[in-house]
Amino acid sequence: MFFYGFMQRAFQASFLISLIAPILGLFLILRRQSLMADTLSHVSLAGVALGMLIGVDPTIMNLLVVMGVAILLEYLRIIYRTYSEISIAILMSGGMAVALVLMGLSNGGTTVSIDQFLFGSIVTISQQQIWMLLFLTITIVLLYIIFRKPMYILTFDEETAFTAGLPIKVMSILFNVLTGVTIAVIMPIVGALLVSAIIVLPAAISMRLSKSFTGVILIGILIAIFGMITGLMSSYQFGTPPGATVTLIFIAVFIVTLGYNHIKSKIQSNKR
Amino acid sequence: MHYIEVEDLAFHYENEPVLDNISFEVNSGEFVMLTGENGAAKTTLLRNILGLLKPTKGNVQISKKNRWGTNLVVGYVPQQVASFNAGFPSTVLELVQSGRYPRGKWFKQLDKEDKEHVRRSLESVGMWDVRHKRVGELSGGQKQRISLARVFATDPDLFVLDEPTTGMDVKAREEFYKLLRHNSEAHGKGILMVTHDHDELKQYVDKHIELIRKEDSPWRCFSMDSCKEPSKHLSSSH
Repeated sequence: MFFYGFMQRAFQASFLISLIAPILGLFLILRRQSLMADTLSHVSLAGVALGMLIGVDPTIMNLLVVMGVAILLEYLRIIYRTYSEISIAILMSGGMAVALVLMGLSNGGTTVSIDQFLFGSIVTISQQQIWMLLFLTITIVLLYIIFRKPMYILTFDEETAFTAGLPIKVMSILFNVLTGVTIAVIMPIVGALLVSAIIVLPAAISMRLSKSFTGVILIGILIAIFGMITGLMSSYQFGTPPGATVTLIFIAVFIVTLGYNHIKSKIQSNKR
Repeated sequence: MHYIEVEDLAFHYENEPVLDNISFEVNSGEFVMLTGENGAAKTTLLRNILGLLKPTKGNVQISKKNRWGTNLVVGYVPQQVASFNAGFPSTVLELVQSGRYPRGKWFKQLDKEDKEHVRRSLESVGMWDVRHKRVGELSGGQKQRISLARVFATDPDLFVLDEPTTGMDVKAREEFYKLLRHNSEAHGKGILMVTHDHDELKQYVDKHIELIRKEDSPWRCFSMDSCKEPSKHLSSSH
């Protein structure tokens, strides 16, 4: 399988996604925005459908729509601070509804392509997508290295960050936009329905394994590489959908981690 | 030098007035306590001062510069830090070290002096021994202490503390008050602290602001009559 061009591109994409998913995933979890990835992926579908309907490159339309909604989400998060899931619920269902209506308006002529965006197609990744993903990965890793410290403070407590003089609004909006762009780029590969699982699960697993912030990111990257590569290989071997296979492997690792932590805490309490 | 200047502040939640006619200053080297009954909008007042809420009327100024002419650094400990982000994946040491971050450039690694400051901050609240623990594993009182350690590590010019002694025993509280007194007296720090321990604290502070309910308002609206000098004041012995 390693000699096929499409599989080589799939492995390259998997590796790049593994580098960025735990970084974004950890911040999304800690900012209680795990569902934002889901929302943006649904909105992303609407962007694709709109692009197809009006004859504009769906990737570009997708990026524009997702970035706009990512900014809107930050404002809704401020307005509904206590019930921030309200904004998620409105935009998630709204995104899906718009996508379905736009698909209907295009007379069913785009059904196959929309299916591809819904469920993803890691085996039809183009070289252009790899370049976009590489550019995005370099950007996110560089931004993480530069802004790790202020993002740590912002994530720990926004009010503390504000009194420390950090521009919390700008930082939050930029983070949302970056998440939106990532989702728009990854979505056609892993599918709108599973993109948030792929972003959030590696960080959720590694949070149970490391005490430190940096440790969570590094272990998260290793877990993401393991899950993505084994998922891709299994998918090739058994003919299963790649996005779903990777997600199931992450969930299996999550369950193993829960068991490991449970046994570890039992042993520790017995020692005491 | 005024670090905080509040002038005729009023604040309404929607259309309901909760604070009215508040004016006071906190100066460099001054330790000010803010008291009031439960629900007297003490935290609301602090949040107005810090810019987290916008006053309906009046002015709040926090000085841009400290007494040495450099940028003023504010250290804020919110109420109920015990409930903070319990699953946050960070060790106590990482969290307290983050208090040193805004001082340098973001790329800069913490130097020897920063690390020494962090060590002293953790020791001052008796938390050095648990520095490698995950913050989520700590008890409520311990979380309160590391939040204070983080603020001490920041080495702020102005402390804004909202009931920081919750969960501390009498001895720890006394040590803490002495430490704050020393910071204001010897290092010129300005301190504004919300507390319910009025009797314990009065001997350490320079000024007492009490929020009292306005009799003539149909709302639960609070104001202050005047800034009081505390009855007994311990000076440089701390």
